[in-house]
Amino acid sequence: MHDLKQSRLLRWSAFFLFVQSIILTLSPAVRERTWDVDYRFLHWLGFFLWLGLTNLTHRITIKYLPERDPYLLPAAALLSGWGLLTIWRLDQDFGLRQAAWLGISNLLFIFAIIGVKNLNILRRYKYVFLSGGLLITALTLLFGTNPMGFGPRLWLGCCGVYFQPSEPLKLLLVIYLSAYLADRVSFQLFSFPLLVPTVLVTGLALLLLLVQRDLGTASIFVLIFTVQIFLATGKRRVLLSASAFLALALFLGYFFIDIIHVRIVGWINPWTDPSGNSYQIVQSLLAVANGGTFGRGLGIGSPLLVPVAISDFIYAAIAEEAGLAGSLSLLAIIWLILARGLIIALRAPDRFRRYLAAGVATYLGIQSLLIIGGNVRLLPLTGVTLPFVSYGGSSLLTSFAALFLLLTISNVEDGEPAALQEPKPYYILAGILAFGLASAALSTAWWAILRGPDLLLRTDNPRRTIADRYVQRGNLLDRNNEPINITEGRSGSYQRKYLYPDLAPITGYTHPVFGQAGLEASIDKTLRGLQGNPTSLILWEQLLYGTPPPGLDTRLSLDLALQTKADALLGTHTGAIVLMNAETGEILVMASHPTYDPNKLDEEGDTLSQNKASPLLNRATQGLYPIGWMLRPLIEAEFGETPPTDTELRAFYKRLGLFEAPAINMPVTFDDMQASLQSLRISPLQAAVAASALSNKGIMPAPRIATAVNTPEQGWVVLPALGQPVEVIQESAANEAALSFIEAGTPYWSHLERADLAGTRVTWLTAGTLPDWKGAPLTLVVALEENNISLAKRIGEEMMNAAGQTP
Amino acid sequence: MSGTIVLVLRLVTTLALLGFLGWALYFLTREIQRQSISLANRRIPGISLTIRNEAKTSSLKYFAQAEIILGRDPGCDIPLVDDTISTRHAQLTYHHNQWWLEDLNSTNGTLLNGTLVEMPTVITSGDEIRCGATRLTVSLSENVVIEPTQKIGKKNGN
Repeated sequence: MHDLKQSRLLRWSAFFLFVQSIILTLSPAVRERTWDVDYRFLHWLGFFLWLGLTNLTHRITIKYLPERDPYLLPAAALLSGWGLLTIWRLDQDFGLRQAAWLGISNLLFIFAIIGVKNLNILRRYKYVFLSGGLLITALTLLFGTNPMGFGPRLWLGCCGVYFQPSEPLKLLLVIYLSAYLADRVSFQLFSFPLLVPTVLVTGLALLLLLVQRDLGTASIFVLIFTVQIFLATGKRRVLLSASAFLALALFLGYFFIDIIHVRIVGWINPWTDPSGNSYQIVQSLLAVANGGTFGRGLGIGSPLLVPVAISDFIYAAIAEEAGLAGSLSLLAIIWLILARGLIIALRAPDRFRRYLAAGVATYLGIQSLLIIGGNVRLLPLTGVTLPFVSYGGSSLLTSFAALFLLLTISNVEDGEPAALQEPKPYYILAGILAFGLASAALSTAWWAILRGPDLLLRTDNPRRTIADRYVQRGNLLDRNNEPINITEGRSGSYQRKYLYPDLAPITGYTHPVFGQAGLEASIDKTLRGLQGNPTSLILWEQLLYGTPPPGLDTRLSLDLALQTKADALLGTHTGAIVLMNAETGEILVMASHPTYDPNKLDEEGDTLSQNKASPLLNRATQGLYPIGWMLRPLIEAEFGETPPTDTELRAFYKRLGLFEAPAINMPVTFDDMQASLQSLRISPLQAAVAASALSNKGIMPAPRIATAVNTPEQGWVVLPALGQPVEVIQESAANEAALSFIEAGTPYWSHLERADLAGTRVTWLTAGTLPDWKGAPLTLVVALEENNISLAKRIGEEMMNAAGQTP
Repeated sequence: MSGTIVLVLRLVTTLALLGFLGWALYFLTREIQRQSISLANRRIPGISLTIRNEAKTSSLKYFAQAEIILGRDPGCDIPLVDDTISTRHAQLTYHHNQWWLEDLNSTNGTLLNGTLVEMPTVITSGDEIRCGATRLTVSLSENVVIEPTQKIGKKNGN
């Protein structure tokens, strides 16, 4: 019956890992959405090694431990195999190393089962084992290194093989305490027999903390010690005083020990420093959030974004790729191990074995809880490993040693359990561990489901830019479907190309390092496929790939032929040009100089934002220039020859929308400072929208630049203007004013104005078509950051002529 | 296409995990069932006690349970009206195929054949237990080993 149970459960684990391996093999095809990829095969080595080893240990345990607990080996095998595949997926080299460690651990496990007949040797030589462990740990104080080259130096290493003595030391402490406590019949709290181990453990923990700066191991020592004393004495005071001690230690550490300070701050409020001290925890939560319910699938998520994903953050990696379903199962399997461990303790025939089994279960439980809790921000982060799962030879060896102890203790033939004086500590301990795991499960669900969608929208979520490499972004086209910004390449290496770089201040860029700007930022949702696509498609793509669907092409109102002309005319001068359809509000030309080349962001991105000439600024919508009397034609249309009072003018400007942001899907600025009309500044776009009233029967149009989206279902869908047209002056007054501003020999009205305010000099030109104009009415605004009437005039002439000829 | 295949596989892995946990739960439930049936099947050889109090009146009691508690408390299995006896004085338990006598930290102690009982002690027929002024003479039934008669399940006799 035992053997049947064990083999059934092992078959399920093998099936699970087999399917996981298939997923990992296929994962490149899913990421790049084509069958023509390099598939991953090497991890099958790990899988078959696991299969062979597990088969062997299964047979050995059947032969040598006939009465063993049948749940432990399958649970441990499943966890270690899952860990192996996850590590392999994260880093092939570490996968190979972990496979080697798994082999060594399993073989030692088998030798121990065959060779060690009973555990009395542990009891007899408890001091030898403990002092040996302490000695080796002490060596790390002198010769300690860290395989990664930084961080706590807890390892002893040579020739590429590293060993962390504090891992087995935890188990040695459990053995020592069990033997020590079992040798004494009864206890008084605060008595001499308890003084020795108390001083020993406290000193050890402090040493580890202060010298090695290893918060995790130090707290595990204290917690193991507390639980074992609690089990032996049955006094709840032990738990209470230990909790008080830990709280006090945390409190003092918060003020005096920087590593504790950093961890506590990062735990209480990680959001204040997400790129510094809280980087790990924030990235870990993002990974959990990205996993959602069913996970991305092994090899399809991006768990490598979390630092040290292979050891400290392997739970986050598993949560991302196996989802909430996977992480809850993982917690349930850990609970299976812990619960069986405590049952084994209760069934143990003597007190030494009882304490030992309970201590081992406690060690596994506390260590799992500490690191899982740290991963999901349930507890402050402590850099310990997840038993059986995390990368690390010392960790894996210790986990299998713990498994060996539990299996050996469970192998009792029909014996009767030793008498138990006080049952309470055992079910209190079980309750605490179960409560801890349940809290971890709830936290994981909280981040994965409830907070997940919000978290993933954070700008420091690198998955968005990763998705950009794998999903085609929508193109930006001009009004005649000429491409402006396009995405080229194949899945996995998509790149944005800017075919008309002079438009850079207007259309902007999208870049993995520098983020997004201009229209690329303001209509990002459409270009990324999150707007305009059916919700079902968005959800399906999210489920399949964890990315948005392919982006949608967006048509702009810009006319590239006219735009080229405007850019040529503006040349190296600093300023802006806006040409718009006065009736529909469609912007035909929007130029802002100086400009930059977004294709060269990689090299120039850092210096661009420092550039004194601010090429990143879209002067047409974000440049504010002193208004002067540049709107004189409009003012005359409204007020006639008599100049208006300040109050009247203010009310008129307000009607023209000069004190508010133009309603357009672009980054805009406006001057809401209404202190004095003389110091008012407006943007060329505001000027163009207002001036349009003169060429459009007194009606101010709502400006538009993104005019249509190419949706998969309905083809091109028109995007409505964001604002409403407003009648600001009477039609007759508008027409009359337009006619009175005709410059000799030109078929349009125009007005030149220079303004100078606090060192900002601007030459304005406004122009527009006349009331009898047969084509689409047009308005032009030119703003030059210099005193240059002749250039403004020439741009006006050439642009109005060119625009007039364009159908 | 690859996405859909892998989606199915991802669901299969979730099912595999559930399968593992489901079987574990099933086995655990079965274990509880087996354990309770096998405990119920365990036969305890009965014990008869001849009780003589100060007034030399004697009575005979027979027990078929594994745990018998003597004391002044009326809730005890053998309530004794005797001021020299503690509330819960001593207990007789059956385990490891033996009957054991254990003193429950009583004020006046428990004597077995005139010796003070300091740790759980095996008793046999004819032994005399003395609690305060009360004497109990033990008489055990034939100690027969009884195999569990009821097999559980179909073919998993273990």
